[in-house]
Amino acid sequence: MGIKVVPRYGKSFKDKLYLPAIAGGMKTTFRHFVKNFKDIDNLKTMAYPEVQPTDLNERYRGVHRLTKHENNTEKCVACFMCATACPADCIFIEAEERFDGYDEKRPKEFKIDLLECVFCGYCVEACPCDAIRMDTGIFSFTSSKREDFVLDKKALMANERSKDLNNG
Amino acid sequence: MSASTIILIVNIALAVVLAVALTPLFVWWERRISGFIQDRSGPNRCHIGPFRLGGIIQSFADMLKLVFKEDFTPSHIKYKFFFTIAPAIVFFCSFLTFAVIPFSDVLVIDGQKHIMQAIPNELGIMWFLAFAGLSVYGIILGGYSSGSKYGLLGSIRASAQVISYEAAMALAIISMLISYGSIHLTDIVNAQAGTYFGVIPMWGIFIQPLAAIIFIVCAFAEANRAPFDLAEGESEIVAGYHTEYSAMKFGLFQVGEYSAMSASSAIIVTLFFGGYQLPWLDTQAIQSNINYIIVAIIILLPLKVYFLTKWMKKNNKAIGLDKSRQKETKILTIAFWSIAFFIVASLVAFLITGLGSNGVNIATAILQIGTFLVKFFMMAFVYIWVRWTVLRFRYDQLQMLGWKVLIPLALLNIVITAIFVVVRGS
Repeated sequence: MGIKVVPRYGKSFKDKLYLPAIAGGMKTTFRHFVKNFKDIDNLKTMAYPEVQPTDLNERYRGVHRLTKHENNTEKCVACFMCATACPADCIFIEAEERFDGYDEKRPKEFKIDLLECVFCGYCVEACPCDAIRMDTGIFSFTSSKREDFVLDKKALMANERSKDLNNG
Repeated sequence: MSASTIILIVNIALAVVLAVALTPLFVWWERRISGFIQDRSGPNRCHIGPFRLGGIIQSFADMLKLVFKEDFTPSHIKYKFFFTIAPAIVFFCSFLTFAVIPFSDVLVIDGQKHIMQAIPNELGIMWFLAFAGLSVYGIILGGYSSGSKYGLLGSIRASAQVISYEAAMALAIISMLISYGSIHLTDIVNAQAGTYFGVIPMWGIFIQPLAAIIFIVCAFAEANRAPFDLAEGESEIVAGYHTEYSAMKFGLFQVGEYSAMSASSAIIVTLFFGGYQLPWLDTQAIQSNINYIIVAIIILLPLKVYFLTKWMKKNNKAIGLDKSRQKETKILTIAFWSIAFFIVASLVAFLITGLGSNGVNIATAILQIGTFLVKFFMMAFVYIWVRWTVLRFRYDQLQMLGWKVLIPLALLNIVITAIFVVVRGS
């Protein structure tokens, strides 16, 4: 095996002058400036609150939702698997008996504290009934009160699968 | 009020505006130009009513915020007086460097000559050197009296940098003085009138390209701007000499920094880019051809406004239902056209009635001030452009460049210039 000699740059007179390289760099930045100055549509950024990102994919973990049966009742059986798996201890479940024939148990209340949540997705992995998912695509969740960040069962069930994702 | 008082007031107002009042504008430029260079937009949301003016309102909002913040002095500071006076020194010295920049040729009114400088003296370049060097005292004092290691390190870096680059800068100026034969800046600019072979304007950069490069590099270092902004550095010494400062004391440092930038771009323009000289037209040529120049302005101004408003209509837009930007475009278009119409109408009136000899002189002065301003803003753009292109130096590289490259080159340049002048016998 031969020895690969890596060429060292910066020894030639032109390199040592620095100015040609600086002129080259300034040419590049000026080209960008002129291009964007002439027409702001050339900017690579998007005007965020008006334009929302559309490149969310299947694996993106947004705000949680509780999935539903056909008659809009929750699939959750209050088995506490998600609350046990949760490393941030942000899931609070209160169980009650269920009488409509789907299961024997249902959550009376199901709360997720989004300020505690680390969006790891372990709750989704742990769920045996596919009752909790994080495919809403909601990445920006703002409020002026701390209490608003604790989502209850109603709010979690109101969340739907993101429109940007295909139906699956 | 006599003519000389009015001229003095105009000059002082010009110097104050260029040195201090342009800071919000330059902050805005800095942010928008860096944005465009990096393919992003920069601040463009802040507005008063429909007026965003391309985002300049943001710098006024930032300034207001600085003014109304609590002026906090940390309790460990022993010398409160020095701590308080340091930003004022930086600000004052950068501001005073503007006092000797000639805005136009000597204005003759009723046979009386007026030097168009804020402080009409003939110290010229010496005054600039004195105050440019002095402003580092404010930085040293601020960093030293802060009583924090970051402040001290930042100010030590700044002072070592300024000392080493001051020498090369002064040597570059000496070679310029040999070829111009005067320290008075008006004389220097007047020596840059005329052309080589009728094509190339006889500017300093074409007379002394080496001195021009050395001086421009040193001026960047002197103004503590990138790529020589070693006095600040988030990763190494937090904010450098102004780590402990807050509110308007910090704001004064900021203003001082930008007025240093204005002052050095003004002095670069004056020394190397012909100052107030319109290329290919010296003062006599303007005065004798003033009518043709007025006609040219009457033709060119509406064209410029047309392209400006067209550009504005194309680029001033928002996505969504917000129609305020279209409204702003409409208002600004009307405003620009009425200003252009007003100027053209008054120029036509001047053409018809004719200007007296005083009028011709004043028109020439205004034209030269305009030329100076255009060159000045272009140089300020170059400052910002360089900041967002060139990488920072490491500290030893900075000293290496200063002592081992720039000073020997400047000395060599003096020798070459002196030999040339002696051989030519002029």
